[in-house]
Amino acid sequence: MNIRSYNIFFHLHTVSGIIISAALFVIFFAGSFSFFRDEIANWQKNESVSAIETGVTTNFDTVIDSLQKNYSLYGRDIEIAKHYNERRLDINLSATKDTLAKEEDKAGTFFYLDTKTFKNFTYEQSYTLGEFLYRLHFFAQIQYPFGYYLSGFVAFFFLFAIITGVLIHWDKIVSNFYVFRPKAKLKTIWTDAHTALGVIGLPFQFIYAVTGTFFMLSLLMAAPSVALLYDGDQQKLYEDLEYFDKPVTLLQQPLSDVPSVEKYITATKQQWEGFNVSHVHLYNFGDESMQIAVEGELDRSEKFTGNGKIIYQATDGKIVYQKNPFTDISYLDVVKNLMYRLHYGDYSGFSLRVISFILGLISCFVIISGVLIWLVARDKKNIPLKKRKFNAALVNIYLGICLTMYPITAASFIAVKLVNPASQAFIYQFYFIGWLLLAIAFTLKKNLYFTNKYTLLLGSIIGFLVPIANGLASGNWFWLTYKNENFQLFFIDVFWIILATSTLLITFKIKRKPA
Amino acid sequence: MPANKKYLTTSPWQRFAKISAGFLGGYFVTVTFHLALAAWFDRVNIMISSTFTGFIIWATLLIVTFLAKNGWKMWGVYLLLTALFYGIVQLGKMYHPII
Repeated sequence: MNIRSYNIFFHLHTVSGIIISAALFVIFFAGSFSFFRDEIANWQKNESVSAIETGVTTNFDTVIDSLQKNYSLYGRDIEIAKHYNERRLDINLSATKDTLAKEEDKAGTFFYLDTKTFKNFTYEQSYTLGEFLYRLHFFAQIQYPFGYYLSGFVAFFFLFAIITGVLIHWDKIVSNFYVFRPKAKLKTIWTDAHTALGVIGLPFQFIYAVTGTFFMLSLLMAAPSVALLYDGDQQKLYEDLEYFDKPVTLLQQPLSDVPSVEKYITATKQQWEGFNVSHVHLYNFGDESMQIAVEGELDRSEKFTGNGKIIYQATDGKIVYQKNPFTDISYLDVVKNLMYRLHYGDYSGFSLRVISFILGLISCFVIISGVLIWLVARDKKNIPLKKRKFNAALVNIYLGICLTMYPITAASFIAVKLVNPASQAFIYQFYFIGWLLLAIAFTLKKNLYFTNKYTLLLGSIIGFLVPIANGLASGNWFWLTYKNENFQLFFIDVFWIILATSTLLITFKIKRKPA
Repeated sequence: MPANKKYLTTSPWQRFAKISAGFLGGYFVTVTFHLALAAWFDRVNIMISSTFTGFIIWATLLIVTFLAKNGWKMWGVYLLLTALFYGIVQLGKMYHPII
C-alpha cells in the first residue's frame, strides 16, 4: 500500500474510533449482558422456564378465557405472542371494529399475561434489569428516535472503523498477529493487544457492526424506495417485504359459539413436526369473519430458517393462506432471519451465547486499548503541553465512564434483589445515578492505573455478592436451583461467580508500569 | 504513529467537501445503485439485500472519498453516478411497472 493511502486510512481509523469509542463501549458492554436478557429477567423474578425456547406451550383457549374475564373481545384483533423466553406472553388487543360497541372497547391495549398465574402486567410492571441492559445497548433510554439513530450511526461508524482498521493492518496482518511484547513499553503493549484481539474478534465485530446498523438504520435504505420505486405506495413495499397480513373486514355477525383456537394450534403442530408457535393473531374475534393466523418456526437445530405461517377461517377451518416452513422458504425469509440470528447468537444453545459474551468483552478491551494507544502516541515532548493535558483529561473521563459500568452493573443485580419489586423508575435511578457518581469519583482521581484496577476490583467484590444477595433475598441459593433444575436461575449466579473470579485474577495482574 | 500530517487534508473546505461527498454523496450513490438493480432484477431480493450490502457499500464509498485529492470532484462523480442510476431506475419502471 502506498504511504499516502496508509496515512489517510490511519487517520480515518483514529478519528472515527476516538469519536465513537465511549458510546461503542457502552453498546458492547450492555450488549454482552443482553445475550442473557431473558435469563436475567427470569432470575430477577425468580421464575424459571425451560432453558431452550419452545414457543408458546400454554393452552390458547385458557389464555382467551382469562382475557375474557377483563375484556369484551368481540370484533377485536388479538395478538398473542412470545418474544422472550419468559413465563409471560405478550397480549395485544386492538380496538374493536364493532361500531356499536361500548366506548371502553373502542380502545386497544397491551399487557403481559403470566402463563402460570394468569395475572396481567403492564410493560412497566414487567420491567427488569435484563430489559434495562438490553435497551441500554441501543440507547433506548434516550428519547425515541434519537437514541436509536445515535446507536445506529455508532454502529455504522464502527463498520467504517473496522474496514479502515483492516486496511491499515492488511500488509502485516499475519505477522503482526503473532507479535506480543508484554515486557515492552506501554504503547507497544496496547498496540499489540489491539491488533491481535482486533483480528481475533474481526468476524464477530464485523457481523455485529453490519447487523447492528441494519436494526437501527435499515429505514435509511428502505425509505427512498417508497418515493423512487413505489411512487409513494408504502403499503406495497410492506406487502412485498411480507410485513403484514391483509386486513379482514368485520361482518358484524357475532358467532354464538366461538370455535376453539387450541384446536387449530394442535392441527398446525400435527401438520408440521417440530413447529414452535411464536405468534397467534385472531382477526375479528367472535365474528363470522374471524380468522386465526398461526406463526412460528421449526426448531433451529432442525432448520436454520424455518418460519411458517397458516391462516384458518375460524368457522369452517378452511385454510386461507399457508407458508410451509419446510418448503416455502424464500431468500427474503433467510435474510430477515439471518440478521436476527447472527446478532442474537441464539441458534446454537447456551455455549454460543457464552462465547459471544466473551467476544463482546474482548471488543470492549479492543476499544479501550485503542483509546489508550491514541493517548500514549500523543504523549510526546514535541506536542504542546496544553494539548497533552487535554488528551489526558479526555481519556481520563472516557475511562471513568466506561470502566465504572462493571461495578454499577454488578451492584444493580444486587439492588433488584434487595428492593422487591424493583420498578422501572428504581432501576433507572439506581443505575444512572450510581453510574454518574462512580464515574465522577474515578475521574476526579485522575489516575488511569487506579481507575482500571479499582473498577475491576470493585466489580469483582460486588459480583461475588450477587449470588449471596440472591440467596438471602429469595432463598434460591445456587446449589438449590441446581438441584431443582432451575437452570436459568442457577446460570446467573454461577455466571457472576465466574466473571468476578476472572476479573479478580486480572486485578492481581495489573501492575503499575512506567510509560 | 500518529498519521503523518503531510498526507492529510489541511484545507477546511476540502475537508468539508470530502466529508459531505462521502457521507451524503456516498449515500445517494448507494441508494440509487440498489434501486437501479431493484428496478430491473428481482425487486424483493435486491431490496432486502440492500439492508446490509447498502451499509457496507456506503461505508466503503465514505472511505474511498478520502483518498481523492479533490473533494469537489468526488461530489461531481457521485452526483453523476446518482443521476445515471436514477435514469436506470426510471427506465426500469417503464419496462417493468410495479403498480
